[in-house]
Amino acid sequence: MLKSLRKLVLGETWAVPAGVAASLGAVIAVRAVLPPDLWSRAGGFVLVGCVVATLALSLRLRR
Amino acid sequence: MAAAAAAVGIEMLEALAIVLAVGAARRFSDALLGAVAAILGVVLLCLGLGPALLADADLHFLRVLIGCLLLLFGLEWLRKGVLRMAGQRRRSSSYEEFVEERDELLAADEIIDGPDWAARLVAFKGVFLEGLEVGLIVLALGGAPGKLTPALVGTGIALVLVTGIGLVLHEPLRRLPETQLKLGVGIALTAFGTFFAAEGLRVEWPFGDVALLYLATIYAALAWLAIRRMSATRKPTAAVPA
Repeated sequence: MLKSLRKLVLGETWAVPAGVAASLGAVIAVRAVLPPDLWSRAGGFVLVGCVVATLALSLRLRR
Repeated sequence: MAAAAAAVGIEMLEALAIVLAVGAARRFSDALLGAVAAILGVVLLCLGLGPALLADADLHFLRVLIGCLLLLFGLEWLRKGVLRMAGQRRRSSSYEEFVEERDELLAADEIIDGPDWAARLVAFKGVFLEGLEVGLIVLALGGAPGKLTPALVGTGIALVLVTGIGLVLHEPLRRLPETQLKLGVGIALTAFGTFFAAEGLRVEWPFGDVALLYLATIYAALAWLAIRRMSATRKPTAAVPA
């Protein structure tokens, strides 16, 4: 049951949860260095880039 | 609303396949008893934990949390959808799950006269886990300000549709393009997740809510490219489970 619950929340691979956590860390770091005005306009696309990288990594690793 | 209906509907279909399998192989009364107990458990858990988790939380923090949760679900569905469409993973089919579950139960112990606890437990476990996923998706989609009603309406629509499918039994299960549906839901959940997480980090999306459309278009285009590329370099890996 616990194994099924873990699979339900985190999925079948470690790549997706690790990628989401890394993406969040990366965008928070970028947000800290960018001027607030630039961040509010472009920050979303930084997150899109991280999400795409996570997807690509998870497809490559598949475990 | 459409995202909630599609995501919840697919989870409910999987739960329905388990209940039908238990009912067909053992007894429908035991399957329904297990399913009803699981639904009650999930509803009580959501009613107990949902408001407690969402009350008094900072709005921006909540959006980041909801966004990350949706990204976890969405990316996992997207990943599996791309692999399935590229032929590198078995296609999703609630009908096949129904047949496998039924055959396993038929091969197990003989049906006894009294309460069939094994059948009840199988139905309970299957419906509880799928129901928990439904609860998480509804909480995530409905947790954002002003989104609770559309999420609940979407869930209601899914419930009516899946119940309708259940009433006419398993034939329609075979006809649903589940793999494509799951890929579509993965794209939608990933777009919603990106949108909410970025808003929580004080991003202002160009064109406001229209961002959901272009985010979904970006992810759909990337999924299509990945499917094409992986199909071209396809290896025979049909044994990978759904």
